[in-house]
Amino acid sequence: MTPMDRRRFLKVTAITGTTAALAGCGNPENQIVRFIPEEELVPGIAVWKPSVCPLCAAGCGVIARVMDGEAEVFRKGKPGLTRMGLARKLEGDPAHPLSKGRLCVRGQAAVQVTYHPDRLVAPQRRSGDRGTGQFTEISWEEALSLLTERLDASVAAGPAQIAFLSRPRPGRRHELVAEVLRRLGAPAPVTFEIFDDAVLRRANELSFGRHQLPTLDLAHTRYLVSFGADLLGTWNSPLAHSVAYGAMRHAPGGVRPKFVQVEPRMSQTGASADQWLAVRPGTEGALALGLAHVIMKAGLRAAPAAGRAGALVDGWASGLPDFTPEAVERETGVPAARVDRLAREFATYGPAVAVIGGAPLAHTNGLAQALAVNALNALVGSIGVEGGTAFMPQSASPQAQARTLRETMAAAPPQVLLLDDANPVFAAPAAWKVTEWLRQVPFIASFGSFIDETSAHADLLLPDHSFLESWVDSAPESGATSFVATVAPPAMRPLYDTRSMPDVLLEVGRRLKQPLTPAMPWQTFEEMLQTAATPESAPTPAATGRPAATQPLTQPPTAWRAPVLDGSADEYPFHFLPFASQAFLDGSLAHLPWLQELPDPLTTAMWSSWVEINVRTAEQLGVADGDIVEVTSTAGSLRAPVVISPGIGPDAVAMPVGQGHETFTRYASGRGANPLAILAPIAEPSTGQLAWSATRVKLAKVAEADGSLILFAGATRERPDHTKGRG
Amino acid sequence: MAHRWGMVVDLDSCTGCEACVTACHAENNIPTVGPTEAARGRAMHWLRVERYWEGDFPDVKVKFKPVMCQHCDNAPCEAVCPTYASHQTDEGLNAQVYNRCIGTRYCANACSYNVRFFNFFNPQWEKPLQLQLNPDVSVREVGVMEKCTFCVQRIKAGKTAAKAEDRELKDGDIQPACAQSCPTGSIIFGDLNDHESRAARFTHSPRGTKLLEDEGTAPKVTYLQRQSWNEPDTQ
Repeated sequence: MTPMDRRRFLKVTAITGTTAALAGCGNPENQIVRFIPEEELVPGIAVWKPSVCPLCAAGCGVIARVMDGEAEVFRKGKPGLTRMGLARKLEGDPAHPLSKGRLCVRGQAAVQVTYHPDRLVAPQRRSGDRGTGQFTEISWEEALSLLTERLDASVAAGPAQIAFLSRPRPGRRHELVAEVLRRLGAPAPVTFEIFDDAVLRRANELSFGRHQLPTLDLAHTRYLVSFGADLLGTWNSPLAHSVAYGAMRHAPGGVRPKFVQVEPRMSQTGASADQWLAVRPGTEGALALGLAHVIMKAGLRAAPAAGRAGALVDGWASGLPDFTPEAVERETGVPAARVDRLAREFATYGPAVAVIGGAPLAHTNGLAQALAVNALNALVGSIGVEGGTAFMPQSASPQAQARTLRETMAAAPPQVLLLDDANPVFAAPAAWKVTEWLRQVPFIASFGSFIDETSAHADLLLPDHSFLESWVDSAPESGATSFVATVAPPAMRPLYDTRSMPDVLLEVGRRLKQPLTPAMPWQTFEEMLQTAATPESAPTPAATGRPAATQPLTQPPTAWRAPVLDGSADEYPFHFLPFASQAFLDGSLAHLPWLQELPDPLTTAMWSSWVEINVRTAEQLGVADGDIVEVTSTAGSLRAPVVISPGIGPDAVAMPVGQGHETFTRYASGRGANPLAILAPIAEPSTGQLAWSATRVKLAKVAEADGSLILFAGATRERPDHTKGRG
Repeated sequence: MAHRWGMVVDLDSCTGCEACVTACHAENNIPTVGPTEAARGRAMHWLRVERYWEGDFPDVKVKFKPVMCQHCDNAPCEAVCPTYASHQTDEGLNAQVYNRCIGTRYCANACSYNVRFFNFFNPQWEKPLQLQLNPDVSVREVGVMEKCTFCVQRIKAGKTAAKAEDRELKDGDIQPACAQSCPTGSIIFGDLNDHESRAARFTHSPRGTKLLEDEGTAPKVTYLQRQSWNEPDTQ
C-alpha cells in the first residue's frame, strides 16, 4: 500500500481545509475541498452498499443507500467538518435469502444507531464514582494501555479471570472473541438475552438431536399452529417469517392455508391468525398433547410415527390417556369441542406445522411444553418436509460454546469484565442483583456505543464503530433452509474516534506481556473474514431433514405438569405477562426516536409504557384508559397507565418490555416502567433460563390519567369533526 | 397515455408490523415531534396502521388497515385550498406544493381520512440525526401542511432512469418506500392506466373496497378484504 494514495491525500486536504474554514468563513480553500467527492461518489447520486442488520439475532442482509453529505466528525481527538459518503436509508437486500429485499420496522430504524446524538465519539475513562456515569475522554493509546495492563495482571495471576459478556449473535465476530479468550486461558464468552429460547434449543436437542432453533417453511405450510410464538413480530427470525407468511397468504390458486395462534394475550402475530385461541398461561403444552391424543385416538396417526420425540413424552405410547379434550379444557380453558376439531384439521390438512416460542417456554414447565410440541410435529410428519419445520445446517452451535450469565454470576467474580452491548442491569430481574455483582468486579470495560444501565458501571469505554462503519457478519441459526452466512464491508467511513471491537481485542492481544499462544492467525477482523468466510467454509449441507438422533435416549420421558407460579393466587390474582415490544424488543432499541414515536400495532401507544387489562378487570378496579395502576409482585412494584384490551383475559395482565430505562440516551431515559424489574427470579430447571412468564401480580389504582399514556390520535372519520380536527 | 398512479393494500396478508410506517419516515424526512407534542395529537405519520377489534374475549379478532393519503380523484382537500397548494397532478397524484401552502389547515379538516399533517413547529433533528435525511425530499417548515406523496421522488427517479435507458417504464420499476419494505408484499403500487399492472388488476378484484367510498371521494387506494378459512371439501 502506498503511504499516500489519492484517497488519503483528499482526506488530509479535506480535514485541513475544513479546519481552516472553521477559523475563517468564506475561505476559498474550503470551497474547493467541499466539492471533492469520495472516489466512488458523485454528489447527488446514490450508491447502494451491503451490510448486515445487527439489531436482533436474525442476521438479515440489508443494503444502505449511500450519498455524499457534509458531516461533523470527531477524529483523532479533534472535531471537524468533512464531506463523505453517508448511509441515508436501509432496505432489505434483494439477493439475501432471509430479507429477500424486505425489511422489518426495526431494521428501517437501524440507521439511527449511527447518527444518534448520544453516541460515544471517543474512548473515555471513569472519573466519578461507579454507576454515576461520569467519564473523561482519553486517547486510544491510553485506553489500550489501561486495558492491556488489566488483562496482563489477570493473566499473570493464574487462570485468567476474564469474562466477555455480549448478546447472542452467532457469527465470526463471536468466534473471534471466543478464540482470543481461549488463547488467554479465560473461560468461554458469556451471552445474555432475556428472550433467548435456550429451552427450545434444549428440547430440540433431546427430540431431534439438534441444539438449535427451528426454521419454518411457512411458504408451503397449509396449516400452522403457533403456541405463543410471536413469529411475525419479534420471535426468532421475524422478517424471514413474514416474507414466507406473505407467500403463504398469496399462494396462487390453491386452498387457503389456516393459521391458528394459541396464547393468553393477543400479540401482533395473533391478530393475523385465522383462529385465535386463548389459553391459560403455561398450559400451551397440554393443548399440544390434547391434539396428539385426539389424532392418535382417531387413528389419524399412530404413536410410533413420532419416534424419539414421542418417546420423550410420558404416556405417549399409550396414547396420552390423561389428555382427553375434556381434561385439556379443564387445564387450558379451550373448549373440548375446539380441541377435537383443531386436532382433526391439523392431522388432515397438511403439510401442517406447529411451533412454540417465547412465553410458553418461560415457565417452570417450559421444557415439557416444548417437548410436547416437538412430539406433535413428529407425529404428523412435519419434520424436514416441505411446509414443515427443519434445521438450518450449522458450522457449529455458538450457543453451545457460550456460558450463561447466571453460571458466571454463580462463580467467583471475574477480575476483568468486557461488555459488548449486553445490558443485564436493565434486562434482568432486579432480584438477580446484577448491579451488586458488577460492584464486585474490579475492572469493567465496555465496547458499546451508548452509556446504558450496565455500561454506566464501566471503568473504561471503548466505543465500537456502528455496524454501517465496520466489517460485519452474521451466521444465524435459523430462518432459511440452507446455510446462510453474511459478510459485508463498511458502508461508510467512521464518523468518530471509534474502533472496531474485534480489532481492539487483536491489538490488545499483541500488546500483552505474555503473548497469545498460539498467536492469532489474523491481524484484523477484516483479515479473519477474508480468510475464514469463503464458500468452502460453509458446512456441507447436512440433511436439513430429520436429523439422525445418534445418541441413545438417556433422558427419561417427561411428564407435562401445570406451571409453578410465583405468588399465591389469593394475594396476587393476575398472571403477569411481559412481552417483547414490537418497537424495542428487550429494550435495547428504546434509544431510537423513530421507534419511540412508532404507534404500537395494537394500542397505538407511543413514548409510553402501559399495562393491558381486560374490560372486566378494569370494571373491578374502577379504571379507564390511561389511569395509573400499581402492579405489585413478590419481587417489587411499578406504576404505569392501563390500556383496556379485548385481547387479554380477566385473569392476566400484560406489559410491553422496553421502556423504563434509567440511563439510556436522551430519548429513553426516565420514560415509563420496566416490567422485567419486578419479575420473580424463577428459573426453568433444565436450562436455568429465567421463567419470565411465571410471576403473579396484584393491581391497584393509584391515580387518575396523568397524560403519561400517549396514543396516536389519527383515525379515519366518517364525518370530519371540525371541533376536534388536528388542525 | 398518461400514468395514473394507484395502490392496492392486501389486508389478508398485512400483519400490522409497521415496517411501512418507519420506512415512510426514513424516506420522506418526516420529523419526530417528541412526547409532549405527540400527546397533543401532533405526531406525524403519513402512513398509519389502524386496528379494528371485533368480538369480545376470548372470541376476538383484529383487523389491521394501513391508511395513507388515498389520492382521491375527487379530493375534498383540493377544493378548499385557497392557494391551490393542494391539487391534482396530470398523473392523478394528490400533490401538495409546500411553498404555496399558507397553513390555513382547511385541507386537513376537509380530509375524511385524517392523513394530512401540519407542521406546528420547525422540524428538529438533533445533531447529527440530520445526516439521515433523504436529499431527494425537501424538509418542510413551520406552517406547512404535508402528507403522503406516493413517494413522488421515486416516481420521478424511475421515469428518469427509464428515459435514460430509452425504454418504457415497467410495472414494478417504481416502488414507494412502504411497498418496498413491506415484509409480506401486501402493498402494491402501480399505474392504473396500465391494465396489465398488478395494481390495476387487483383494483378490480372482487375483494377490493375503497375507504369511505360513499363520500364520493373516489380514492385511488384499494383495500383487498381479509379472507377467512373455510374447511376444504375433503370428498
